[in-house]
Amino acid sequence: MNTRILRPALAVYTAAFLLFLYGPLIVLAILSFQSQTGGPQFPIQEWSTYWYRHLFGLTETSRISQLPVGDSLVRSLVLAFMTTVVSTVLGTMSAEAFRTRFKGSGPVFYLIILGMMVPGVLVGLGMALLSNFAGIDRAWWGTAFVLHVVYTYPFAFLVMLAIFNRFDRSVEEASMSLGVSPAQTFRRVTFPIIFPGVLSAMLFSFTLSYDEFSRTLFTVGRELTLPLSIYGTFSVEIYPNIFAFGVLTTLFSFTLLVIYGVLMKRFTASRAGRFSGQEEAA
Amino acid sequence: MAHDLELIQVGKTYPDGTVAVSDFDLKVEKGEFVAFLGPSGCGKSTTLRMIAGFEDITNGQILIQGRDVSTIPPEKRPTSMIFQNYALFPHMTVRQNIAFGLDIKGMAKAEKDSKVDRILDMFDLTEFADRRADRLSGGQRQRIALARGLVVEPEILLLDEPLGALDANLRRIIQNELKLLQRELGITFVFVTHAQSEALGLSDRVVVMSNGIVEQISHPKELYRRPASPFVAEFIGSNTIIKGTPQPGDATGLAQLNTPLGVIRGHGPADADMAVIPAEAFRITPAGAPGELRFDGTVTNKSLIGSVGHIRVRLADQREIEVETHADTDAAQALVPGAPITLGVDPVSVTLIHS
Repeated sequence: MNTRILRPALAVYTAAFLLFLYGPLIVLAILSFQSQTGGPQFPIQEWSTYWYRHLFGLTETSRISQLPVGDSLVRSLVLAFMTTVVSTVLGTMSAEAFRTRFKGSGPVFYLIILGMMVPGVLVGLGMALLSNFAGIDRAWWGTAFVLHVVYTYPFAFLVMLAIFNRFDRSVEEASMSLGVSPAQTFRRVTFPIIFPGVLSAMLFSFTLSYDEFSRTLFTVGRELTLPLSIYGTFSVEIYPNIFAFGVLTTLFSFTLLVIYGVLMKRFTASRAGRFSGQEEAA
Repeated sequence: MAHDLELIQVGKTYPDGTVAVSDFDLKVEKGEFVAFLGPSGCGKSTTLRMIAGFEDITNGQILIQGRDVSTIPPEKRPTSMIFQNYALFPHMTVRQNIAFGLDIKGMAKAEKDSKVDRILDMFDLTEFADRRADRLSGGQRQRIALARGLVVEPEILLLDEPLGALDANLRRIIQNELKLLQRELGITFVFVTHAQSEALGLSDRVVVMSNGIVEQISHPKELYRRPASPFVAEFIGSNTIIKGTPQPGDATGLAQLNTPLGVIRGHGPADADMAVIPAEAFRITPAGAPGELRFDGTVTNKSLIGSVGHIRVRLADQREIEVETHADTDAAQALVPGAPITLGVDPVSVTLIHS
């Protein structure tokens, strides 16, 4: 097709896409700077950082209570961290196992993947019934944690599977033929090479767990995680303090992404052409 | 004195019943350069990997310097393996790559450094020592791999098509280096290749394999002169193979074969039924010298490459063979397509084998 038409068309398409992708976020960010008297909608009465100060309890007491997210934020972070560690370790180990065909590897593969396929609400409800039946108290660090792992583990597994798929086994064999034990080979050779994959698996697990809602809803017990407690505040009345909080958590996510990006760059930039192995001579 | 490497009836059968290698017998002396040669899928790489310990064996025994290593894991075997794709550690510098094996052994820093420095120097890699291995050319990478494999002082160096990824020029250079290196170090090299020129040019002995079976183990020259099986006769060099029926031997001690092209005499068992004539054994003779085998035919084509004439000849049984000749001779001038031609072969250069 004529690039004269195609290029502007694609540019418009991309712009529209970006607008829809980031539009809500931008609106949220703008409204978070609403003044004390303004509501959670346009127009902006006056620009201020009032709701940010309100969030941290730095304003005089007002009739609007502080957003009750402090404890649940800590809970969500701890839960996401626990989930990340367990899922990434499990995912890496099972992907390692899948490097060689073993008896029943097909069914096992689908059983793992099932964790991300089944509807969250159903699993959550099932888990709630099961824990009731078994007499286990529901808690974010117990029943909810288990479901978070079940949910994020397949993602970590798939990421690592893709990494191992293009991993050159002869590098490990070279190491072993130099007299290095399999355990040392994993630590000194395999792990450094697959590390970018491990980072990606961690990022997936963390973000998926951090804002998991449906599975957590039925299994979290009395102490809520962040997405649930934010949802809880909606049932009263919405004030711009929730927007301010949204902006802050988004900034936190961006920080994670930046750290991820920097680490990735450090570990992969020096390795361009790793897979072009067998080519050109001097 | 035990052999450096000994394979006794070594075989491998996969769980699904596929036979990868069977009844592999081989004795290798210290300092010998042995090549495994064969088409892809013949089991040569599998055998090498069995020696290294990367593949289990299902039959027989592998001994290194008299010690049975059949069930010993690869890291405990005194072997180093060199891979076609170099298999360098992408996250390490050249020096770190080479020092890796010594590092893990916990060698003292001074001793390690001096060993690494020496081998860097030996392979002309000193100037690249602190570069990342994957930034270097194929030839340099293969040198790094060799240095890394040799610095741990293996008893046996295993090379799996180490020149396969290099271009023709570089292949020749590294090939020469390998030969020199092996002579200098005096350690045993086992080399896998599908390229005849490499196997024949480098090694003291060649093991020709096909379909998991050892066809012949002999000196490179012997492979050319005296192929032991139809496979070797077809695979090595360019031979003319003529089937026939055994005849009682002649007075000179040669066996005889009755073929559609006449009686052919040659070296081999009395009951052999196949004659193998190397391409270079054919000579154009006007009359036929006494004692020589005579083949009459017709010239079908002639081409000149420099001063060498390549003449295609159709023999009595319609097969075509190619004969080399010096283009300047009068005899060669007369050989136009369609002209009759007589070829002579000294029976001593003919090998008779079982089909």
